[in-house]
Formats: sequence, structure tokens, C-alpha cells
Amino acid sequence: MIDIKNIHVDIGEKSILKGVDLSLEKGKVHVLMGTNGSGKSTLTKAIVGHYDTTVTKGEIFYNNKNIVELSPEQRALEGIFLSFQNPIEIAGVNNAYFLRTALNAKERFDGKKETNAASFLRLMKKHVSQLGMHQDMLIRSLNDGFSGGEKKRNEILQMEVLQPDLILLDEIDSGLDIDALKAVADGINRMRDGERTFLIITHYRRILDYVTPDYVHILQDGQIVKSGGFELVDILESQGYQAIQKDI
Amino acid sequence: MDTLALIDTTHPLYSNFDALGVPNTKTEQYKNFPIKPILAREYSYNTESNLTPNAGTNLVMHNGMLLEYPEEIDIKFNEEFHTDKEHFDSLYFMSHMLSTTVITLKVHKDCSFEIQHTLCEQDSLTAYRIALEVDENIHVEVFESFQTDKSSQAFTLYGLDVHVSNNSTLRWIRNENRADKETEVVGSHKFNVAKQATLVLHSFDFGSASSLHLYKIDLAQYASCNASHLLLSDKDARRGNVVHINHNEAHAKSTQEARSILKDNATGIFDAKILVAHDAKYASASQNSKAILLDEHAHMYAKPQLEIYTDELEASHGSTIGTLDEDALFYLLSRGISMQESRKMLVSAFANTLIDNIPNQEYATKIHKEFENSL
Ligand SMILES: Nc1ncnc2c1ncn2[C@@H]1O[C@H](COP(=O)(O)OP(=O)(O)OP(=O)(O)O)[C@@H](O)[C@H]1O
Ligand SMILES: [Mg+2]
Repeated sequence: MIDIKNIHVDIGEKSILKGVDLSLEKGKVHVLMGTNGSGKSTLTKAIVGHYDTTVTKGEIFYNNKNIVELSPEQRALEGIFLSFQNPIEIAGVNNAYFLRTALNAKERFDGKKETNAASFLRLMKKHVSQLGMHQDMLIRSLNDGFSGGEKKRNEILQMEVLQPDLILLDEIDSGLDIDALKAVADGINRMRDGERTFLIITHYRRILDYVTPDYVHILQDGQIVKSGGFELVDILESQGYQAIQKDI
Repeated sequence: MDTLALIDTTHPLYSNFDALGVPNTKTEQYKNFPIKPILAREYSYNTESNLTPNAGTNLVMHNGMLLEYPEEIDIKFNEEFHTDKEHFDSLYFMSHMLSTTVITLKVHKDCSFEIQHTLCEQDSLTAYRIALEVDENIHVEVFESFQTDKSSQAFTLYGLDVHVSNNSTLRWIRNENRADKETEVVGSHKFNVAKQATLVLHSFDFGSASSLHLYKIDLAQYASCNASHLLLSDKDARRGNVVHINHNEAHAKSTQEARSILKDNATGIFDAKILVAHDAKYASASQNSKAILLDEHAHMYAKPQLEIYTDELEASHGSTIGTLDEDALFYLLSRGISMQESRKMLVSAFANTLIDNIPNQEYATKIHKEFENSL
């Protein structure tokens, strides 16, 4: 699905990722953990083509195609979705209008018929109540004045509407109450169909009790230092990052 | 003949005009608006007038000729009416001197009507003025729009002299959506807002034509003025608003909000001054200008100023000029929305609040549409 080969990424003058190698197997749930500032968000930003990041070396193969030169909107249309660690607020852009514009863009790209306003509304009602969101989240401005948890649910809503193939979730669990965590995990599990690939960035085991991962990777100082299974999470929870035996 | 040659130096207002002088690039309010070549151009002077207009629903001005007027309104022609000798703009006096048509509208009851200006004569100078007197204790709404089909090298110098009497509210919406080349409109206006009266002014300037509106707004005790200006310009346009609001008495309130979006080589103008006189205690005054430049050569001239001669007041002002928010843009792009569409969404988001402030849904919808089409 995605093959990251020896990628080096700078933000400004600073080198953040220093040769990341990571393969995400199609249809699997991968977890990425690592200390604050190790470069997890930077990695996801580089995958979606964020303007902050400059790839100075290496390749990102997505469906066997190097996407490093693609624009962010092209990458999204190809099926890559990032749920942001801090989703930004855009006053004046109506949430439902935004979602429908994005959905229609994706449908056009896929050569499908565009969902009309009436069926879109029905679709939204379903998703919104599944996620335990207020219906008025749709008529409000995009994330504007949303609470932390509401913003995260709104990211999951976008994921469910757009039905992407590669889903990067950057700390989707942080700041969520127990009900919200369950709602978000249910949303992820609904999308988990053996075809879609997930990369879940988290600091805590909590969400992994609801979404069972297939693989766990650890990023330290701009490199993947260990990959394994769920047992890595247990080691981290009980002993911290110094207990990890680095592979490199 | 050029414009200046048309002026009658024996006119009673000539001395007022002369004291301020012919505007040039050094004149504060015309610094960014090329008035000199406009005044120097050769024009045919449009002096036709129509003394038998039809009674109808709106006020229709065709090349300075009145074709229709709202029947519910009392209308008079060329009646002597008050001119503000203290006006800061010499073209205010010039337009009074050159106006062949002077219409006075007297409004005695709640109403809403439109003023439609059609300007379609080539190489011509058209000058006219409209005076509006709003009686006490009523609510009036005016929607002003412009059409400039096929004209070129035409200069329209018009103006409003408005008096809002005690306890009345006037909502004035100017919708100037024009893209014609070399058709300039200069409007030099005066609004007098009496005790406890309210003026709500909405201006919408869209398109690539050039125009400048100069307002002198005077506030009496407990009067208020709420002005908002939305500007969206492209190509080589130079357009905008010069607004002087004077708090002359105590407890007056004014708010001014300008939002401007400039593309290509366009220059936007928001030159605003709120003056709070010594006796205008307990004033409340706020001014804000925000501009977004979408292209490298687009330019915004924003000059919000507060001039205060009393110490008992609440006042604030601010001005920002920037580009589209990169993070917001990226968020939309990252959901697969094209660059063009994403930019459009953000520009609309910036502008929408000023359009949504119009309570009349029909007008709001119309302006939303025109805005989208001008983007
Ligand atoms: N715009 C920026 N300008 C300068 N430095 C930046 C910028 N963005 C990120 N960095 C730096 O890059 C490093 C990696 O940041 P990143 O956000 O990828 O870490 P992270 O692993 O996601 O951390 P956390 O767990 O705290 O979210 C940090 O040292 C951070 O300060
Ligand atoms: Mg992070």
C-alpha cells in the first residue's frame, strides 16, 4: 500500500526525519508511537504534502507510484486522508457545504455520479448520529468554536464521508472523553474492511483496547527504531521508551 | 470641454470649491485615485433632463435623467436644499455646481425602494444629485445599484445629501457591481444623522471598474452610524471609500468595518476617519479594516484613523493586510478540494459576514450571487 524509503524531511532549516523506512501493509492497522517531538506528525505531513515539509531525500510509494511530487489535493483524491492532530477552525465555511464539496470532488475524480443535496443530507444525518454528534455541527462553520472532542469527531466524520484508502490518524484519541473515544473507535472499526490501511499515532494504549492493531512501529529522533506487534505497547506502558531494544 | 472649464465661477458655492482647490495626487482623499486625468478628459456635458418622470416603484436614473420615481414618495426638482459648507471634498461642491438634475425626495412613512443608476453614454460627463429627507420616527431602506452598459470614457459625478430626522432609521445599501473599463463614478455624499437616529450603511464594490465614494457623516446626540464596506476588485481597478464620521454631540456611536479582497493589479481604498469633537462625550467608536491580497501586484490602501478631542469615550481601531490563511487553505486542499475552489471558499468565508448582515434576504441573496460571479 505505502512504502516509505529512506525519507529525509526538513521543516525550515531543521532536519526532522533522518531516513525513515516504513512499509504499511494493505488492509492492516498500524500504530506509530514515539516521544514528543520525535517526528510523528512530520511524517504524516510529508505523506500528505504539507507545505511545511520539504522532502530532501527518499521516496514515498503509494500504490507503487512515487507521490512526493504530487500536490496535496491530488494525494487526497488518490485516497490519502490525514486526521490532523490540531484541526484548524475556518470561520465562514459551512461544515456541510465543505463536506459536500470534498465528496463531490472525490466522486468526480473517481468518475462517479455526484451525490445530490438531498441524498447528501440523508447520508450526513446517518453519520452524524452514528458518531453521537449534534446535528447543528453540520450547519456551523468548519470546526469553528468546536470543542477539542467535537473537532476529533468531525475529522472522523470527514473520513467516513470520503471513504479514503490510506487513513492517517494523528492523535485522534487525545482529549476525548470515554464516550467520544468509543464513538471514534467505532467509526474506525466501521471503515476497517481488510482493504483500507490505517496508521494510528497515539501516546496511549487506551484506544488500542477498541481498535486492535496488527503492527506497532516506534519512531525515535527521526527514524523508525523498532517494529513489532502489540507486545511493544505493553512494554512502553509499563517501562517507557528506554526499555525499547532498538533494531537500528 | 474638460470638467473644470464647465464650472461657473460666479456660482454661490464656487468659493467653497476654490478654498479646497482642484484635487490632485497630493489631496489626501485622492492619493490613490487618479482624479486628475479624469477631470482633464474631454467630455460632452450631459445636460438633458426629464421633467415628466413616471410614478412607479423605484427611482430610475438613466444617464442622469429621472425616468421613474416611487409613487409613495414626495418628489421635488431643483428645490433649494441644504449643502454642507463644511464638506471636506471639493468635488462635493463641484458636483453641486455641475448638477443639471437635483432631485429631492421626502419620505414621510416606513418604506423600502431602489435607486437604479444606468450610465451608458460614451465620452460624457453626467452630474446629478439626489437629496433624501427622512421624517421623524420611521424606518427606511434604500437599495442603490448601478449599470454601466457599453459606456466608455464616461465620468459620472453624483452625490447624495441625506437627512435622517430624530428617532428614524435609514438603511442604505449601495451595490456597485461594475466591470466596465474607463467609466468612472465619483460619489460625494453627506449624511446627517439627527438625535437618536440611526444610519446603517452597507457598501458593496465588486468588479474592475474604478469608483470612489466620499462620505461625510455627522452624528447628533445619541445618533449612531453602523457602516460596513465590502470590496472585491480585480484588473486595474482603483476603488473604495473615503468616510469621515463626525461625532458632534454626546453619546453618539459609530462602528465601521471594511473587508477588501484585491486581485491582479487592483488597488483598494479605505480611508476612514472618525472624529470625536470636544463636546461629544461618552462616544463609542470602532473601526476595523481587513484586506486580503490575492496577487503580488494587488494593493490595499487602508487608513483607519481616530481623531479624538474628548477623553470620555470607548474607541478601538485596527487594520490588517494579508494573504489567505495557509493552514486553512491546506486543510481544504488535503480533503481533495481543488486550489481554485479552496481559495474561493476562503474568500467567500471572509466576505460572507458582511453580506449576511443585510436583513432583507432578497438583497442578501442577490449580493451573494454577484460576489460569487465576480470571484
Ligand atoms: N513549523 C515548525 N517549525 C519549526 N519546527 C517545527 C515545526 N513543526 C515541527 N517542528 C519541530 O519538528 C520536531 C518534530 O515535530 P512533530 O510535530 O513531528 O513531533 P511529534 O512526534 O508529532 O510530537 P508530539 O508527540 O508532541 O505530537 C519537533 O522538534 C518540532 O518542534
Ligand atoms: Mg504530533
